[in-house]
Amino acid sequence: MSVAIKANRLTPYMFLAPAGIILIFALLYPIGYMIYASFLDWSPSQRIGQAEFIGFRNYVNLWGDEAFRESFWVTIRFAAIVVTLEMVLGVGLALLLDRNIKGMAMLRTVFILPMMIAPIVVGLMWRYMYHPTVGIFNRTLKNFGFEGIPWLSDSTWSFIAIVIADVWQWTPFIFILALAAMQSLPRSALEAAEIDGANEWQKIVMIKLPLMMPVLIVTLLLRLIDAFKVLEVILVLTNGGPGLSTEILALRIFRTAQEFQELGEAAAMSNLLLMMLMVLTIGMFAYSRVQEARLARQRAAVEKDAD
Amino acid sequence: MLKYLKSTVCAVAGLALGATAALANPYEEFAGETLVVNFPAHPHFDAVMKVLPEFTKETGIRVEVDQLQYLKMRERQTLELTKNRGDYDLIAYVVFSKADYVYADQLENLARFFMNPKLADPNYEAEDLIDGYVANIGVAGGKKGYLPGPTGSLFGLPFGSETSILGYRKDIFDKHDLKVPETYDELLELVCLIPELEPGMGGLASRAASGHHASHAFLLHLAPLGGRIFDDEWKPIVNNEAGVEAAEALKKIVNCGAEGSKTFGFAEAGASFLQGNSAMFLDSTVFAGQVNNPDKSKVVGLVEWAPHPVGERAGSQTGGFGIGIPKNAQNKDAAFLLMQWLTSKKADKLIAMAGGNPSRYSTHADADVNEKFPHMATFGEALKNADPDWRPIIPVWGKINADLGTTLSKIIVEDAPVQESLNGVAERTQAIMDDAGYYTWTQ
Repeated sequence: MSVAIKANRLTPYMFLAPAGIILIFALLYPIGYMIYASFLDWSPSQRIGQAEFIGFRNYVNLWGDEAFRESFWVTIRFAAIVVTLEMVLGVGLALLLDRNIKGMAMLRTVFILPMMIAPIVVGLMWRYMYHPTVGIFNRTLKNFGFEGIPWLSDSTWSFIAIVIADVWQWTPFIFILALAAMQSLPRSALEAAEIDGANEWQKIVMIKLPLMMPVLIVTLLLRLIDAFKVLEVILVLTNGGPGLSTEILALRIFRTAQEFQELGEAAAMSNLLLMMLMVLTIGMFAYSRVQEARLARQRAAVEKDAD
Repeated sequence: MLKYLKSTVCAVAGLALGATAALANPYEEFAGETLVVNFPAHPHFDAVMKVLPEFTKETGIRVEVDQLQYLKMRERQTLELTKNRGDYDLIAYVVFSKADYVYADQLENLARFFMNPKLADPNYEAEDLIDGYVANIGVAGGKKGYLPGPTGSLFGLPFGSETSILGYRKDIFDKHDLKVPETYDELLELVCLIPELEPGMGGLASRAASGHHASHAFLLHLAPLGGRIFDDEWKPIVNNEAGVEAAEALKKIVNCGAEGSKTFGFAEAGASFLQGNSAMFLDSTVFAGQVNNPDKSKVVGLVEWAPHPVGERAGSQTGGFGIGIPKNAQNKDAAFLLMQWLTSKKADKLIAMAGGNPSRYSTHADADVNEKFPHMATFGEALKNADPDWRPIIPVWGKINADLGTTLSKIIVEDAPVQESLNGVAERTQAIMDDAGYYTWTQ
C-alpha cells in the first residue's frame, strides 16, 4: 500500500483527533477521576494522593444509608411527577397555541421568561411567595377567609411547593420545543386527515402526537436528566427539609461533599446518579429505535399492500 | 587620648541608641512586607477592615485581605492549605474547621512564636482572652482531642467571639409585668404565655429549619439542660433524659413561636424579632448589632439583653471565629505579629468600637466600649459561661449534625416521637463513630 493511500485513509482520523483529544480531557478524565475518587476515603483537607483506598466501602455504606435511600426515592418521585406535569402542560399549551393569533410572538416570549431567570432567583422568589405571613399565596387565602397553607413547614406541602416551582420554571421549555416540532409537521398529512373527516382530537392523537414523538422523547429525556440534577431552587426553597422530605440526590451529594466533608462518598453517589441517568438515556433511545423500526415496518407493509 | 575616648563613647552611645531603637520597634525587620489574609464576610471582620490601616501605620507591614462569603472561605482554604506554598499568611476559621486543619497538620503550632522573644509581646496578657474561646477555637490535642489538657497545644487565637444571649422586648415585659427568665423553667413558661398575652406575637424566635439550624437550636438547650452528645468514651448519649428534654423544649419554643417558625433559619428568626413579631430571641451575640439599626429593625430602643437562662448548669454557645497561621504560609513571623496585634488589648478595643466582637474580658468591661454599646457588659458576663464542649469538634461532626438536624425537623414538623427519633440518631451516630475509629481502644 502506497504512502499516499495510507495517508488518505488516516485523514479522517486526523480530522477527528482534536475532537477526540478534547473529549478525553474534558469528559473522560473528570469521569475517570470521579470513579477513582469513589473508591477513596477522601476529605477535602487531603490531596487525592493522600486519601486511603477503601475499595467498594463507600458504595456499601450508601446501600445501608437510610437517608440516601430516602433521598433516592424523593428524587424518583420528584422527577416522575414534574416531568409528567411539564410534558402534559407544555404539549397541551403548544397544541392550544399552535395557530395564527395576533401577538403570538410576544406571547411566546412571555411564556419562556421563567426559564431565563437564574435558579437562585427563582428559589428566592418562590420562597417569598410561600412565606406564611407576607407571601402572596397565604395572604390571598386569608383575604378570602381561608386558613393559610404551611407551604414550607409541612412535609407534603413542601414537596408540592418544589414541584409547583419546577413546573412553573420548566414547562415553557417543553412548550417551546413542542411548538417548534408541531409547526414543522408536514401540512399534507393534516390536510389529508381533514379531507378524510378527522376531527381535531383525532388529528392530535393520530397524526400530530405520533409525528412529534421523536422530538418529544428527546425533550422528555432532557427534562428528566435535568430534574434528577436540580439543586439551586430546592436548596434555597427548603434546603431539603422538613426532615428529608425534599432532599433530592443532587442536594444530598452537595451536602455530603460540603457539610460532611466526605468527597469519596459524594463521588460514589454521583456515580450512582450518573449510572441511573445512563440507564434512562439508553432505555429512551432503545424505545425510540424500537418505535422507529415498528413504524418503518408498518410503512413497508402499507407500501407492499399498495403495490 | 581624650579624642579617642570621646569617639569611643560616641560610638558606644550610638550603638546603644541604635539597639534601643531596634528594641523599640520589633516590627522594623518586617516593614514593607505584604501579608495576604483570608477573612469571612462577617460584621466582625467588616469592623476589622476599618482597623487594619492602623496596623500598617504602626508597623509598616501591609495587609491584603481576601474577604469571602463564609462557605466559600472554607472551600478556598481547603484548596489553599493543601498546596506546597500557600497564598495565605493568616486565615480566619470557624471552630469546626479546627478539627480538620489540625488533624491534617495544616496549622502552625503557636508555641514557637510565643517562645520567640523577638516576636512575642511581653504585655500581651493572654489570660485576659476569654477562656472558653481559647479552649474552643485555639487549643487542640488535649481532652477528647479537641479540648485543652496536659497534651494540648495552641493552634489559633479567638477572634470574633460569639456566645448565645437572650434578647427580650422590654416594652412587652414591662407592659405585662413579666420577669426576665433566668432559668429554663421560667423561659419555657414564658414562651407560651406571651402569645396568649400578645395575640399574633411569638414567644421566642428560634431557628428550626431542617439540618444545621435545627441542630444548632437543639444544642443551645442541650448543654444548659445538662446534656451532651457523647459521654467521655464517645458513646452517644443524645437520647438520654436531658436530650429528650432539650428536644421537647425546642419543640415547645417553635410551637409557641411566630407564624412560620418551623422553617426559620438564623436570618428568619432574627427578622421575626427585628420586625416585632417575637418577644424574645436566643442566639448568637453577633445579632445584637442589627437591633438598633433603623434600616433593619422596627424595635430600635426596645430591646434589652440577659444571659442565656440556666438549667442544670450555665452553658452558653461557643462560636465565632479564630485566626491561625497556615503551615504553608510564606511570611509566618510577620503573620504572627499581625495575629498578636489584632488580638491585643489595644486592637480588641479598636475593633469593638468599630462594631466587632471583642475577644477579651477587659474590652467587655471597658468604659468607652460600654458607653457606645451598653449591652457589652452583659455579653462579657455571658461569655464567662461559654461552654467549650458545647458541641463536639471532631471531623465526623458534619454528618452527625446533619442527621440530628433532619431528625429534629421531623420531630418539630411531623410530630415524630422524640425518644424513638433520638434513639435513631444515637444508633446512627454510634455507627459513624465506629467507622471513624473512635472505639478502637474500647472494643
